[in-house]
Amino acid sequence: MTEKITVALAGNPNVGKTSIFNAITGSKQHVGNWPGVTVERKMGKRKHKDIEMQIVDLPGTYSLTAYSLDEIIARDFIIEEKPDIVVQVIDATNLERNLYLTTQLMELGTKLIIALNMTDLALAKGDSIEVQKMQEFLEVPVISTIGSRGGGIEDLLDSITEEIHRTRTNENVFVYDGEIEKSADELGNVLADDPYYSHYPSRWFSMKLLEGDENIIKKAKESGNYPQIRKILQRTDADSFEAKIADQRYKTIQTMLRQVCNINTDHLSGSDMVDRVVTNKYLGIPIFLSLMWAAFEVTFTFATPFMNIIDIFFGWLAETASDVITISWLASLVGDGMIAGVGSVLIFLPNILLLFFMISLMEDSGYMSRAAFIMDKVMSKIGLHGKSFIPLIMGFGCNVPAIMATRTIEDSRDRLITILIAPFVSCGARLPVYVLLAGAFFGRDAGIVIFGLYALGIFVALISAKLMRSTIVKGEDTPFIMELPSYKIPTLKGSILHMWERGKIYLKKAGGIILIGVVGIWLLASIPAPGSGGTFASEEIYGTTDSMIGFIGQIIEPLVAPLGFDWKIAVALMFGVVAKEIVVGSMGVLYGVGDNEDSLTEILAAGAMTPLAGLGLMVFTLLYVPCFACIGVIKRETGSWKWTVFQLLYGTGLAWIFAFVLYQVGSRIGLFA
Amino acid sequence: MEQHYGKTEITFAALAGVLYTILGMYHIAEGIGIDIGIYEGMAGSLFIPGDILGGFCLVVTGGVFLYGFKEMMQGINAGVSFLYVGILMSLLFMMVYLLIMGGNLLDSFIVPQDYEGWSIMETFRPGIYLGILSLAGILYWKDRFSLNEVLVFREGA
Repeated sequence: MTEKITVALAGNPNVGKTSIFNAITGSKQHVGNWPGVTVERKMGKRKHKDIEMQIVDLPGTYSLTAYSLDEIIARDFIIEEKPDIVVQVIDATNLERNLYLTTQLMELGTKLIIALNMTDLALAKGDSIEVQKMQEFLEVPVISTIGSRGGGIEDLLDSITEEIHRTRTNENVFVYDGEIEKSADELGNVLADDPYYSHYPSRWFSMKLLEGDENIIKKAKESGNYPQIRKILQRTDADSFEAKIADQRYKTIQTMLRQVCNINTDHLSGSDMVDRVVTNKYLGIPIFLSLMWAAFEVTFTFATPFMNIIDIFFGWLAETASDVITISWLASLVGDGMIAGVGSVLIFLPNILLLFFMISLMEDSGYMSRAAFIMDKVMSKIGLHGKSFIPLIMGFGCNVPAIMATRTIEDSRDRLITILIAPFVSCGARLPVYVLLAGAFFGRDAGIVIFGLYALGIFVALISAKLMRSTIVKGEDTPFIMELPSYKIPTLKGSILHMWERGKIYLKKAGGIILIGVVGIWLLASIPAPGSGGTFASEEIYGTTDSMIGFIGQIIEPLVAPLGFDWKIAVALMFGVVAKEIVVGSMGVLYGVGDNEDSLTEILAAGAMTPLAGLGLMVFTLLYVPCFACIGVIKRETGSWKWTVFQLLYGTGLAWIFAFVLYQVGSRIGLFA
Repeated sequence: MEQHYGKTEITFAALAGVLYTILGMYHIAEGIGIDIGIYEGMAGSLFIPGDILGGFCLVVTGGVFLYGFKEMMQGINAGVSFLYVGILMSLLFMMVYLLIMGGNLLDSFIVPQDYEGWSIMETFRPGIYLGILSLAGILYWKDRFSLNEVLVFREGA
């Protein structure tokens, strides 16, 4: 009979848990060389030697005293849901800090296996580790793994199947100072008398109470025995006990490390040397800006021939459709609606793929962590810290995971501000709008304009954070501690995989929500407006002010007219709330790309819009209401409609003011005239 | 402690630093419309466009080399890091400019009507020929760069 067990993968952030999870389960979860990639638990399955294992990949945590939301998710799963076995993934290049969590897991009495990961990197650094000795010292199985290449995974699975039937616990492995032990014994006696605590190992629970763990004290308050517990705790000094307990654990770890490994500290590693340069106080930020410029320049320029190929293909497809389909309204639906709309969006696939490829290179190499580190100084000036910069950088890909990544931020106020400013970071969905308009109006300088928009997004986010910090979300500055992972050479396969994962989402959107959106726009552009008297999908009605879309557009046009936008842009922006790519798709339908030999870029450049209004539209698209998916995640992560509505109004208000000032001042001084 | 660099490293950092900084500033000057050429058509003969951000990147690369030069002159062993990272940065920008050239060349075959009278040399940039210097550097110091799973700079010549 097949036995079913639950295996939790735990460990510090960025030690390769997800790589091991992928190697065990065969899934392709996103792996990144920076802390905080996994903020939710992920499930997968694997059958090994008649045992069906449910593998749970937990967010990284440094200890079982959880502070941030992702750490609480990891801690609660281990403590409350009691997996059958915990595999702690340890970074072999950073044993001392990783083993601190080991000491806590051992105290918890959980069945534990250590996956000593990244052993190849430790060897490359010149470190040596005696695995057998380590196993004897800790009295738990220690398996060497190289998660990124699947090394040691079979040994790890074998070890899980053996360990699951072994009866042993690791409780009471550490003995602390007399005063702590005495208080722990007293608490243990109280806990033993109350069935409420039977769910938790009493020794571990007592130690957590003595450490002053707020979460555990909260749990204790729910029990009838709490007055007795409080009496014992009142006699102790939580801060001093916590320091003494941590000190004892580190002493034990250091004693073991002296016996089991030899760390090479003779020379600066490659990572240290690169960090001396890229985190240099004068050069760090200019280097970061240079790399971002390079990424945008390649995104725009190298993608151009591939965009032209797609453009030529859709031009041919629209022409063929109008030749083959004889029913005029159907030919219009397919040519002017579906092909023109979806084609206008798909043309930007090369840009999206290239940008994601380069972001992936920066993530996988470990550079993104450095970007957060060097930005800490800037972030601290606005009342946040470098950790808030990571979600902002993630936002270049998509704002939804960026907002979820704020779960790594411990302070709830910092987290709220970061959620509220994250939508200002320009995501991949806005890129088609920029490439279209910058290409139409700014020619060779298009790359610079796009770079400027990304920089503007970050600037607005930072200024907004400062404003919120000093007004509606006041709070104290918190210290910033961040681990910088070793640099790795990104693999071509890994980067292409990440690029494809994100590109696939774009393609799915083009074939789903965008297709539905452009068909909806075509319908509205074909239905005669009330009182116009035209016929459905006739040439006189289609896409004019006599169509239903023209009717709606004219109602909302006064709101955007001071920004230099006409009713077509008003409609495109309105539909863009569903997904930002629809702005371009709508323009493709409304400016009649299907009927025209010219591309949308050429139609716009020929006078459908002024360069100033084009720039204003890019700025407006950058800052106004985020897409539906993003609005949903803001609501979920803030848990408040108040803050969600605030973000929508604040963003749209800012977008309007920026575009208004740009257009009105620009018109008066003759900018781009 | 053994010194990890010699006169070659110091000279290379100084030379690359000065060249990148001067040519980068020339890009910026052209970008904002200031003519700093010593002779008529100097910018054209050096393939320098008016490109403020591109120039900024060259100045930053030059700054990295010059910082390394300064530290090595002060006897700081780890100053050689700036030389190695400068080399990597200049090769990266060389690659960016080559990709841009390649993209334009490919595009000229796809939409030839947009490229009438165009020559590939119009997209040739100083970032490319300056990168050749770094290419020579990486070949000369190839035993110090190990690009396996992890980036390793080995010590000593």
